[in-house]
Amino acid sequence: MRNLFIFWIVSGWLAVQGMATSAPPALAPVVPGKILEFPDDFGAHNDFRIEWWYVTGWLETPAGKPLGFQITFFRTATRADRDNPSHFSPQQLIIAHVALSDPAIGRLQHDQKIARAGFDLAYARTGNTDVKLDDWSFVREADGHYRTHIRAENFTLDFTLTPAQPLMQQGENGFSRKGPEPEQASYYYSEPHLQITGTIRRQGEDMPVTGTAWLDHEWSSALLDANAQGWDWIGASLADGAALMAFQIRGKDGSKIRAHAALRDAAGHIQTFTPDQVSFHPIRTWHSARTQADYPVATRVRTGKIEWLITPLMDDQELDARTSAGAVYWEGAVTLTRDGEPAGHGYMELTGYVQPLSM
Amino acid sequence: MTPALLTRWLLLGEWHSHRLQSIVAVLAIMLGVALGFTIHLINTAAVTEFSTATRSLSGTSDLTVRAVRTTFDESLYPALMHHTGVAQASPVLEITAGVPAKTKTMHNPVLTILGLDVFRAAAVTPDLIGVPAEDKRMDTLADDAVFLSPAAMEWFAVKQGDSIEVSTGAKQVKLRVAGGLTRVHAGQRIAVMDIGAAQWRFDQIGRLSRIELKLQQGVDHHAFRATLDKELGPSFLLTESEDDDIRARNMSRAYRVNLNILALVALFTGAFLIFSGQVLSTIRRRSQLALLRVLGMTRRQLLRQLLLESGSLGILGSLLGLALGYLLAATALHHLGADLGAGFFPGLEPRLHPDPLAALFYFLLGTGVTIAGSLLPAWEAAHTHPAPALKSGSEYTVLAALRAPRLAAVCLLAGILFSGLPPVNDLPVFGYLAVVLLLVGSMAALPYLCGLFFSALSHALNPGRSGVLTVLAVTRLSNASGLAAVALGGILVSFSLMVAMAIMVASFRISVDDWLTRVLPADLYLHSTIHQDMRGFIRDEQQAIAGIPAVERTDFIRSIPLTLDPARPNITLLARPIDENNPGLILPLTGVALSPGDIPPDTIPIWASEAMVDLYGYQTGMRVTLPFADPAQSFIVAGIWRDYGRMFGAVQMQLSDYRNLTGDDHISDAALWLKKGAVTDTVIASLKALPFGNTLEIMETGRVRAVALKQFDRSFAVTYLLELVAIGVGLMGVAASFSAQTLTRVREFGMLRHIGFSKRQIYRMLTLEGGLLSGFGIAAGFLLGTGISLILIFIINPQSFHWSMQLHMPWTWLLLMALAVLGAAATTAFSASRRAASGNVIRAVREDW
Amino acid sequence: MSLTPVLELHKISKTYAGRQVLSGLSYRFTAGEYIAIMGESGAGKSTLLNLIAGLDSPDSGEIRIEGEVLPVEDEAATLLRRRHLGFIFQAFHVLPHLTLLQNVSLPLLLNRLPLDRAPAMLAAVGLQGREQDFPHQLSGGELQRVAVARALVHHPRLILADEPTGNLDQDTAGEILRLIRTEIKTSGASAIIVTHSHTAAETADKILKLDSYGLAPFHSAQPENRQ
Repeated sequence: MRNLFIFWIVSGWLAVQGMATSAPPALAPVVPGKILEFPDDFGAHNDFRIEWWYVTGWLETPAGKPLGFQITFFRTATRADRDNPSHFSPQQLIIAHVALSDPAIGRLQHDQKIARAGFDLAYARTGNTDVKLDDWSFVREADGHYRTHIRAENFTLDFTLTPAQPLMQQGENGFSRKGPEPEQASYYYSEPHLQITGTIRRQGEDMPVTGTAWLDHEWSSALLDANAQGWDWIGASLADGAALMAFQIRGKDGSKIRAHAALRDAAGHIQTFTPDQVSFHPIRTWHSARTQADYPVATRVRTGKIEWLITPLMDDQELDARTSAGAVYWEGAVTLTRDGEPAGHGYMELTGYVQPLSM
Repeated sequence: MTPALLTRWLLLGEWHSHRLQSIVAVLAIMLGVALGFTIHLINTAAVTEFSTATRSLSGTSDLTVRAVRTTFDESLYPALMHHTGVAQASPVLEITAGVPAKTKTMHNPVLTILGLDVFRAAAVTPDLIGVPAEDKRMDTLADDAVFLSPAAMEWFAVKQGDSIEVSTGAKQVKLRVAGGLTRVHAGQRIAVMDIGAAQWRFDQIGRLSRIELKLQQGVDHHAFRATLDKELGPSFLLTESEDDDIRARNMSRAYRVNLNILALVALFTGAFLIFSGQVLSTIRRRSQLALLRVLGMTRRQLLRQLLLESGSLGILGSLLGLALGYLLAATALHHLGADLGAGFFPGLEPRLHPDPLAALFYFLLGTGVTIAGSLLPAWEAAHTHPAPALKSGSEYTVLAALRAPRLAAVCLLAGILFSGLPPVNDLPVFGYLAVVLLLVGSMAALPYLCGLFFSALSHALNPGRSGVLTVLAVTRLSNASGLAAVALGGILVSFSLMVAMAIMVASFRISVDDWLTRVLPADLYLHSTIHQDMRGFIRDEQQAIAGIPAVERTDFIRSIPLTLDPARPNITLLARPIDENNPGLILPLTGVALSPGDIPPDTIPIWASEAMVDLYGYQTGMRVTLPFADPAQSFIVAGIWRDYGRMFGAVQMQLSDYRNLTGDDHISDAALWLKKGAVTDTVIASLKALPFGNTLEIMETGRVRAVALKQFDRSFAVTYLLELVAIGVGLMGVAASFSAQTLTRVREFGMLRHIGFSKRQIYRMLTLEGGLLSGFGIAAGFLLGTGISLILIFIINPQSFHWSMQLHMPWTWLLLMALAVLGAAATTAFSASRRAASGNVIRAVREDW
Repeated sequence: MSLTPVLELHKISKTYAGRQVLSGLSYRFTAGEYIAIMGESGAGKSTLLNLIAGLDSPDSGEIRIEGEVLPVEDEAATLLRRRHLGFIFQAFHVLPHLTLLQNVSLPLLLNRLPLDRAPAMLAAVGLQGREQDFPHQLSGGELQRVAVARALVHHPRLILADEPTGNLDQDTAGEILRLIRTEIKTSGASAIIVTHSHTAAETADKILKLDSYGLAPFHSAQPENRQ
């Protein structure tokens, strides 16, 4: 459940009154108890309203400097009339986001694209992960490797991501609740500890990098509660081989509408935490002069008895896309301690700090 | 201080005493400058508007890909997206939709709807992305939503949330106004909707009109264009924004050039008026000018003084002309549109742009022409010997300078030679030069011819029988033919121009009328709301039309625009059943057409309009390519036909050939022949009762002709206006020349009164002189005008508009004009003489005024 | 009295329209003299005046005004004429669209002299108060007064008058002749008056006769001095 950008599009889209002639296309519901089937569920689920593949991770340059990155592909089904035989009929939209966190620059470098699916220029294929938007792509090969190529405005990423651990199905075997109502849920699995090799090209120079990434793949037809203001999310491939995912959905009154966390140790044992066992406590906020938002960039997260202290790689990892897509959020590389001991690196997302969400 | 003061005194004195003449000269210069400036302003506004509008449709695109036909298959879009060097490709489907609600008030009511992919357009044409309501942001993708430019909103009188109804062929489409296009060029009447919706709603699935390309940084545009051009082949065209400018200029060129020449004619007339005014003025003031020389004014001072006199009239006239021109342009743009009613630029509301450089040009032109006109008489006056000039009776020596039979012969000969030369850069430059040379030559020959004619007349007269007045009048005209010719020049110039225009317009109109009879053989014609509709009528609708009872025969016509050369306006392809054994039944052929046996089996016959000959070099029997379907298909020009409807070129071909080539079985027009005894109104009612009856524009042949002739007259509205102006200027010239001339003869009248003439007799003599002189001028003007009209009809018109016509003389009209000018001239002569002779003519004998 | 000739004719000849009008004419005009020239019609009186005025040039010979050779070139001749000569014509030749004051001011303007002399000059010829009138409001005699004023206003060295009373009745003619003499004498200029009229000629200091033999004193020139 990420990123205002897509939600803005979806919410706006659903608000469209009467698409002239016919009824809106039927959407598949998210129901508990479904068994995710692979490799089909790696691929796109066009019957569901929204879907995303979300890769975040830490990189190390040859000079040993840390970088953070984020690559996201969204697919969203629209209410466009399925009877329209035009290849331009905007039935599925593909949206992609990329961002690079470099402490040497001090703020995010980012880029985004949007297109209607069609003409093999933009698509999210079924059967296995295969999404493309012009010259941006994210593909899972038969052996489980992912390849991604992103040519952004200021940099080009060419990564191969190799799985080192099994899939991590979130929630109840991939059924992840997001709100008080049972249908406010998604299908959700993650691939932590993906090993990255590849290059970053900046200013015409190729730089080899290595690192560790976290992949989320999530699809749903209904997500947030009407009272939701935003959410905080964290995903971390920890140094000891463990993987941590935690989120909370905040209400407009500041209350916690829903929360959940899962911690898988190196041996593969998963510990899940109920909403009341998960809490987020801001330690330090950073004020954005661009948007006047205050983000809790340093946060203490409790999952049961464990206390995680989260500090950002750099403060300004705000992604301000108001001029193009209208979304503002904070998405950044973070360092974690577990009960005071260094635990590893991860990514944190903070949304709904500028204006409330409506979904 | 002092010489300036002297200059001013003399100037004011001269103006003050010859107010009418000064005013007439100022008016003439003003008209010439105003016309030229107006046409320049209108054209600049139109071309600027057209290219700005076209450019705004292409946004920041580096290169536009379009096809020879209006649309092409969308598979080119992904291919171009993947093409090396392409950064972004924005596909566009441009729908030319009809607006049925507007058919009552306007001809061919068109709304251009652009189908865009907002996500692609964002990078190329951000100004064309609609602004939806706050709560309906996704309307940019909705399949029932349309975004209107402010001009379109105003035209439809709708606002956000309302709906509009447009048509494509027989199909009607209702669209919801989802918002505005706030940043499109002001006055541009366009609409934007989602490209997928446009393909679907307007039956253009799989079709695109153009693709706007943005190239990657560092790509050599020129090389890229060359490569892509080669890859795409002849069916596709690549254009950049400069091409649109050239296209716009080509569209307006014909009317612009013609009107500009008319402005030059007005200026020429003005210069002539100044010339004759100055000649008369220097004759009248001969002793005054001599006095100034005696008192110590040098030749140079006097020349400067005289040039300043006319120059200041020129400056005043030019300044007034600029103001009037601006006003005229604003009015014309407001009422007639940028094409002066010719319909080249629909959906545009051009605004005037101040153009100081052009204003300066026309100012200098007006002033320069004035000074040129007064140079000869001023020079003569400054170089004359003051001593004899102080004595009276030396006026006629001035006019010796005006006798220039050699110059006349050179001009006339050159004019005749020039009329045979081909156009320069598509413009009939030599044709116009020939007209000017004929005018100048005739004027130069006039004193000589006039003398010749009247001395022959005076020899022929029998003094005993003809009466003293006639003898006096004729003798004077024969002896002072130079002076008479000055007055005559005005009549000659204006009347010959009137005659030339009248003959040209009449010939053209009659030719158009004949042509209409030929090209409209059926009883009824019908088409959809607009011409060349993209969809037109599909098979079922065609059958419904052909199945109407009482219809004996139906010919279907497919009419589509083709872009053979992106720098030129589109040509029209008309596909219809043509009897190859006798194509002349439908086509007004101008020469011998190929018979079916002459047509090689591997070619398809087409019949080309005359414009195709001039613009694209087509000739009967020539093999040509028209890459609208199968680029390799070869066509043969089977004949040339006259076309007054499409000056940018048209070709006709068999409907069956067209269908085989393109698979397009839609049609645009239908021609219906009714069974004997069928009632037209009943047939029209049955047509209207068809399910798509309200999208049909049905016209009876008689009405088509009436409408076409109305359009013709509308296009010539400006010409009629100019004809009126020419008449006005000519009569003003007559008035000015006659009054001035009569005034110079005050002493002569005094003498006549002394020897016993009554006032009445003097008036009669003057009226007789005026009549005789105008009669001669009218006869000469008629000959000259006929000559000019021949050049207009057979040289200038074919070269500017690419069509031919037959000569028709509007005798009645010519006779009426001749009588009107004769009457006006005689009346003017009479009233001028009355005024002149009413003073104390007796005293004038003694007085050296 | 200075002996410098104001005007010197040296062997001037002029053929006009194929006819020898003047042949080898020589004469010296003394400064301050008022001289009348009489002669038959066609004797060349007007031709002589035109030559002196520089409006025409002699076929041979030389004319000196105030010792300066009258140039053949028009521009130079015009400048000399403008400065040194004043003219009075039979036909008055007043510009009809200028006021009397403006007419009288013409020579001042052309010579770039102060304009304040003009009103005084108009007053001197008896037209004070009529500065703003136009010529058509004046009688013939009055017009000739304007011409006299214009001829003298710029203080020329030599006045040329061609039948100044030819268009006037006798009474007015006498009046104008007296005025011309008075004003010329007041200004100290020399004058040559060409006339048929004995009455007119008799107002001069000296009468010369022009014939094919040249200029010679008239038969009964009255040596009476009117100083």
